[in-house]
Amino acid sequence: MKLKVYRYHKNMENPRYDTFELELKPGLTVLGALFQFQQNFDDSIAFHYSCRGAVCGTCAMLINKVPRLACRTQVESLLNGDLKIPLSFYPAIEENVDWNPKEEVLVEPLPHLPVIKDLIVDMDKFFDYYKEIEPVFKPADSTPKKERLMDPESIPELELYTNCILCAACFGSCPVDGNDPEYLGPAALAKLYRFYIDPREANGIERIKTADMPRGWWDCKFHGNCRRVCPKDVPPLIAIAKAREQLEKEGEER
Amino acid sequence: MESGGDNVTILKTLKHNEEISVASTVESIHYHDVLIIGGGLTGLRAAFQVSNSGLSGALISKVHPLRSHSVAAQGGMNASLGNVPGDDDASDDWKMHAYDTVKGSDYLADQDAVEKMCLEAIATVYELEHMGTVWSRLENGKIAQRPFGGAGFPRTCYAADRTGHNALHTLYEQVLNKNFPIYEEFFVTSLVKDKGRCIGCTAIEIMTGKIHGFISKAVLMATGGFGRVFNRSTNALINTGDGLTLALNVGVPLKDMEFVQFHPTTLYGTNILMSEGARGEGGILINSQGERFMEKYAPNSVDLAPRDVVARSIEQEIREGRGFDGGYVHLDLTHLGSDRIMERLPGIRQIAMDFAGVDPIEEPIPIQPGQHYSMGGIDADINGATMLPGLYAAGECACISVHGANRLGGNSLLETLVFGRLVADKIIDYINQTPEPDIQAVQLAINDIESKIKEVMGRKKSANIFSVKDEMTETMFQKFGIFRDGQTMEKGLKEILNMENKFSHLTIDNKNLAVNQTLVQFLEIEGMLKIAEVVARCAIKREESRGSHTRTDHPDRDDENYLKHTLIELDDKNLNISYKPVTIGMFEPKERVY
Repeated sequence: MKLKVYRYHKNMENPRYDTFELELKPGLTVLGALFQFQQNFDDSIAFHYSCRGAVCGTCAMLINKVPRLACRTQVESLLNGDLKIPLSFYPAIEENVDWNPKEEVLVEPLPHLPVIKDLIVDMDKFFDYYKEIEPVFKPADSTPKKERLMDPESIPELELYTNCILCAACFGSCPVDGNDPEYLGPAALAKLYRFYIDPREANGIERIKTADMPRGWWDCKFHGNCRRVCPKDVPPLIAIAKAREQLEKEGEER
Repeated sequence: MESGGDNVTILKTLKHNEEISVASTVESIHYHDVLIIGGGLTGLRAAFQVSNSGLSGALISKVHPLRSHSVAAQGGMNASLGNVPGDDDASDDWKMHAYDTVKGSDYLADQDAVEKMCLEAIATVYELEHMGTVWSRLENGKIAQRPFGGAGFPRTCYAADRTGHNALHTLYEQVLNKNFPIYEEFFVTSLVKDKGRCIGCTAIEIMTGKIHGFISKAVLMATGGFGRVFNRSTNALINTGDGLTLALNVGVPLKDMEFVQFHPTTLYGTNILMSEGARGEGGILINSQGERFMEKYAPNSVDLAPRDVVARSIEQEIREGRGFDGGYVHLDLTHLGSDRIMERLPGIRQIAMDFAGVDPIEEPIPIQPGQHYSMGGIDADINGATMLPGLYAAGECACISVHGANRLGGNSLLETLVFGRLVADKIIDYINQTPEPDIQAVQLAINDIESKIKEVMGRKKSANIFSVKDEMTETMFQKFGIFRDGQTMEKGLKEILNMENKFSHLTIDNKNLAVNQTLVQFLEIEGMLKIAEVVARCAIKREESRGSHTRTDHPDRDDENYLKHTLIELDDKNLNISYKPVTIGMFEPKERVY
């Protein structure tokens, strides 16, 4: 198989693609292939890695034109065509590179964030938006002596959102983020919703008003790419729809 | 302070430049009262404490804090909340938690530290809950607790099998909310010692390649373990033991480095962790003959014996031909049913499907033991203080020691948060009575690092640095793995020494300093080779079997000669070993049966 990798650093006028041939062994992931590239072809390649087990969220990149975690993506499945994910179109996934998906894996940086080098993007904007929604627990009452009780029935819905690993795959898949760089994006909104539905918080509707603005809840066009690419099955669309419903209801009541 | 020779002791093999180029470096020198190195749970909990004290602090991490290995912790955190009754309706208390921990440690843990940790555990779990962590809950709304290996009660609080993820995100949210300064993707290159105390560090800003100096009154090491010294490891790729190397290089001893935990259940092929929680929920181990073999090795605890016992048993089954081809056994969860797996163990199910193509609801998971945790670490007392004033350590990089010769599952997340907080408090006290540090030593240290990098870049390449790393991890697993013996280890040590020698002549191709991850890996591997040598030397010297350290040539525990901590320190270029006593408290050492 071949790995076709996007290469760029700030002294280059235009990015280029390097192709590296390697042996396909069972269990080879895209991250594993990138390490082989680094170790045997060019040690100047830059990419993020840490847990290699799909839990830390650092290695999201555009793989065969779909944002995915490199550590979780099996090369063999890609070559077999098993991992196709139909996405609503946006410019970054345009098939503008010549590559043969039957024998090549195309690896590019995550869209919608500035490239620092090769596959490393500057995540500042993503985390600025995350920070903007005030992602910190704001409890209703004063601190009790023991734990606050929680109905176990309330946990599954919360877990849908606490499972987010902030990898930004959704951010790089969202046509709206591509179009409007100011849009907070799916991850930040899902995080905000996580705090809103936490029964231990009592800020009610005020919580979701943090994003009651065009670049918040109201910019989403329900393309659904975020849900399709999420490695943890987080559903930002549901959060966004429900938050809008709440805000609309409150608007009517006033 | 020209005399004494300890004003700049880092990287002694290098001669620093005669002239200090103040103009070129001063702009990249930062001042904070406290520096915290490492952005996992220990580092973030300490940062939260420092922030509350009003002192100026900063956290330095080689990765974004959310990418720290704490995020991968699955099964839970121990605290004797007593939310779930034990057998015969007995109720748990912190002393029983301490007893299980000490027995689990094969009596090598310092009991004063264990008592402190277990006593503080309850408030620590509640604190995390008060910060917003979403724990799994019982029907009555209290935090859920499950049985874990080596524990007399269902004591492990959990958030499904993503406890570390939930805890780390909560702590990150809290620290972010304080606007605590974080130097992200800075790789620390040396600790700076001046006038007999630690006054800061140097670091490479990975994205630019620029060397920075940090001046502070105290430094807290919270850098995690060194699991990646072994080739079958559950650890993140970043767990390269950098903090231990930094400590060694300023003459601070490491402790109990021969004690390395092998987790019984890591996914065959990738060695990603399959939580002990899987057995806590009722999962069982089965060999290729279809036997539930743990009944033979631990008649009472069976599959929930402590990790050292279960890992040895699995390895023995495999060695005696009762494993499956390739060297693994089965972890069977199928009888738990889909609902329980989906509710309690969704994370490992996903991992098994993604990385082994196995759905645990349908079929057993292929598992084998793999390196998991470093019980040893930077020698620190119950306050986290090291031998060097101003230098503190906590979490996995430290050996305080609460785990002794074998850690119990659920005690590592606990240790990070308890000692992240307590040690930060000690640091805050220390700082209030400590004079301002001098900038000069940090400037000299920057020059030393610059020369060192220049020297490495100028070497003539003769082999691939990554192949040396592969050789090292293979030697460590094969010769210093679950079963050890003197002869094999002596051979292993020679191999490691040869690798160190070979590595000292190597360089890398990429000469550009900005975003040079190969340079970072070069520095990591250089340190890992030294850590490997340290583990080897300590393991060879301990001629007994205790906890995770199993010598086939010395199969019994020997309290008369070895109920003591191993210390190892770098003196010029030599590694010297010494010993110090274990603190015994409520629990007299006795035979350990499960």
